[in-house]
Amino acid sequence: MAIIKGYDMPDELYYHEEHSWARVEDNRVTVGMNDMFQKEAGDIVFVDVPEEEDEVEQGEVCGKIQSRKWIGKLCAPVSGEIVEINEELEDDTSLINQDPYGKGWILVIEATDLENELINLMHGDSLLPFIDQEIQRTEEERANA
Amino acid sequence: MYSWRLFKDTINLVSTALGLSIDDILPLSLSRHGSPPILHLYIFKPSAIVGKYQDIEAALRLDRCSNRGVEYNRRSTGGGTVIMGPKVVALGLSIDIDQPGLKKGIGGIFESLSAVLIKALRDLGVDAGFRPKNDLEVDGKKIAGLSAALETEKAILFHASMLVDFDIPLMLDIMHQPPLKLYDKGYSCFSQRITTITEQLGHDIDMERVVEAIENAFSQKFGASFEKDEPDAWEKKSIEDFINTRYTNPAWIFSHKHPRSKMGIGEFKTPGGLLEIYLSLAGSTIEHIIITGDFFSTTKDINLLESSLKWTSAKREKIEEHLSDAWREDMIYGVNVSTLTEAIVKAKENLVTI
Repeated sequence: MAIIKGYDMPDELYYHEEHSWARVEDNRVTVGMNDMFQKEAGDIVFVDVPEEEDEVEQGEVCGKIQSRKWIGKLCAPVSGEIVEINEELEDDTSLINQDPYGKGWILVIEATDLENELINLMHGDSLLPFIDQEIQRTEEERANA
Repeated sequence: MYSWRLFKDTINLVSTALGLSIDDILPLSLSRHGSPPILHLYIFKPSAIVGKYQDIEAALRLDRCSNRGVEYNRRSTGGGTVIMGPKVVALGLSIDIDQPGLKKGIGGIFESLSAVLIKALRDLGVDAGFRPKNDLEVDGKKIAGLSAALETEKAILFHASMLVDFDIPLMLDIMHQPPLKLYDKGYSCFSQRITTITEQLGHDIDMERVVEAIENAFSQKFGASFEKDEPDAWEKKSIEDFINTRYTNPAWIFSHKHPRSKMGIGEFKTPGGLLEIYLSLAGSTIEHIIITGDFFSTTKDINLLESSLKWTSAKREKIEEHLSDAWREDMIYGVNVSTLTEAIVKAKENLVTI
């Protein structure tokens, strides 16, 4: 478990720059939104996910997430077929806020090209510069405002 | 100075299908068609427009809309229902999230764009402020609503509606409001929560003046000069596509991709008087709440408390947390955070599906 600059970013996960995370178990990849996203977004109102059996490409927008009056994107961290959707989110989207890496998972992808695609994601030490950069961009804008 | 494009029409009233389709091509033009940011300022025909993930049948009395000649449709940005018409300025904007001058993050984007509209209102003589999280207010009363969506790549679509004048009886007639006991009470409730530029100024104002103030405020904030423009051939084709595939398509207008809507009332006796809570939930989130009763408080404080709860989780601990953050001593005489939380939880227990 890693806390980076106040954000919980577990070591074992892979991260897409649009704030989705991937937990890899063989070719089965569980996907959700990271702690930085949920803290920034606030209470999640609705998650619009694709259907099971849909094919997605790495980086493709495969879902939409509404918080307050904002609609953001869920980007697929890897390519493959969607094999499972978290149906509990239909009744309780706050799971994403309360437990983003546990009960707040969003969908599972049966990956088709993990070997080539995992290198495009952030993992371990490569995460720190990304978080730093995201925080710095926010602070710079605040200072310039 | 940067050159931005301006699509402006303050003469013709626009159908929801056309206005929303033009708005939807704005971020596409920015990210895929090489366009600079585009500001679209226009006026809708009388209409009711729900948020992308709202249940339109729970939000609106569709038969009454039809009987009164009020169009209804679904926009592609978030939030709740807006009532548009000849005295409401509609604004669509496409802008890159990395645009200089725009703060980062969801809250930062809303704050930056709100600041522009606040400047426009102040230039017109209305002292407005930002009401977290997504509205503009004057003395606690809403005067403009905002919503947004991150669309293609880094382009966002930002929507705003600015009330120059507003027909509350029409709104009460066509919307499924929480079941307020009396019509007069409903009118009084909403007139204490909504204001308009006309009401603030005490006289009528030309729509063109309001639109110009918005245009000038954007120009100053982003150092942009506007060139009045129209959609080009590629954009016109995309607009036609959106009209056909979305805004005249029942599958889009009556989309079932939304959380379940429920409404309920809670009454709770307190030392300060009777608290009545009217609550609307979208799934597990508070979409709308009215706190009323025979207690002593100010409109501003009540509206502040209601705003602190809108679009937040309806779980008891979250209600208590958000009320505590907003609470100041004696906001409601004889009432504290835990009694108010209790009244809201009681309304939750009485929820019925619409």
